[in-house]
Amino acid sequence: MGVRNQLSLFVTFAKEGFEKSLLVGKFFCCLHVVNTYVCTPALAYGPSMLPTINLTGDLVLAERISTRFNKVCPGDVVLVRSPVVPRRIVTKRVIGMEGDRVSYVADPKSSDKFETVVVPQGHVWIEGDNIYESNDSRKFGAVPYGLIEGRVFLR
Amino acid sequence: MRRWGLLAKEALTQTLTFARFFCLFHVTNHYLWSPTLVFGPSMLPTLNLTGDVILAEYVSHRVGRLGPGDIVFVRSPVDPNKIVTKRIVGVEGDRVTYFKPRNGDSCHTVVVPKGHVWIQGDNLYASRDSRQFGPVPYGLIEGKAFFRVWPPNSFGSLG
Repeated sequence: MGVRNQLSLFVTFAKEGFEKSLLVGKFFCCLHVVNTYVCTPALAYGPSMLPTINLTGDLVLAERISTRFNKVCPGDVVLVRSPVVPRRIVTKRVIGMEGDRVSYVADPKSSDKFETVVVPQGHVWIEGDNIYESNDSRKFGAVPYGLIEGRVFLR
Repeated sequence: MRRWGLLAKEALTQTLTFARFFCLFHVTNHYLWSPTLVFGPSMLPTLNLTGDVILAEYVSHRVGRLGPGDIVFVRSPVDPNKIVTKRIVGVEGDRVTYFKPRNGDSCHTVVVPKGHVWIQGDNLYASRDSRQFGPVPYGLIEGKAFFRVWPPNSFGSLG
């Protein structure tokens, strides 16, 4: 009798635990959908976007709607999947869209020479605000638009 | 008044069920596998011109288990709204030799840069691929094709 009572108690607990975890699962699902399709928080750190973004880290909100509808414009700060290290997402500013002629200083530490390039179709030119310490399109060239993950709109 | 309340409650329950189903559908379609329609001449004779339904899986590219020989779906670097199907010929660090059949028989060799892959269609004569737009960043890969469902006479895995 005691064993049966304990078993039914256990079943009740298990059922309740299952329902709670289902609720948590549903919440995470919702959160994930929002993160992927609407907006997501991101921690941006590093020297390449000084003074806009701090060295030690700023929490930013990036929205994914304008990137999906091709509404990213020059001047936007975007999250971009790095073309050199695919698992890394970097924060840079869009300087030019496809077809734009972009003038940039290739290596400001060594010389002040300007170079001009036309951004190919389907690509964007991104640069960090701190051009002295930024690994961006001046090093790895224009990046395909498909690598843009989100547009930062709030810090 | 009460009838409206009941109706609203029932509508909400139905919507929730629908939303749950949609959620599961979405998660499977984006993170596990999904059927895809592919068409075009660039992957003949592997994939038909008029359209095949292929099962694409979305796990391998996230864990980095893609290699030469895999048929992958890639977001086109030239048109970000289009997804193309090509085969991976080389990964980062590989030396790839290719030729453009319409431009004479000159062979070119290129080393695939870090973080990129070299993709080519099986039908070199009618394929716009890395020979035209260069190596593509690994981050543009959307999924890997592993099984063909339609047409039924070529049902089977795509090795």
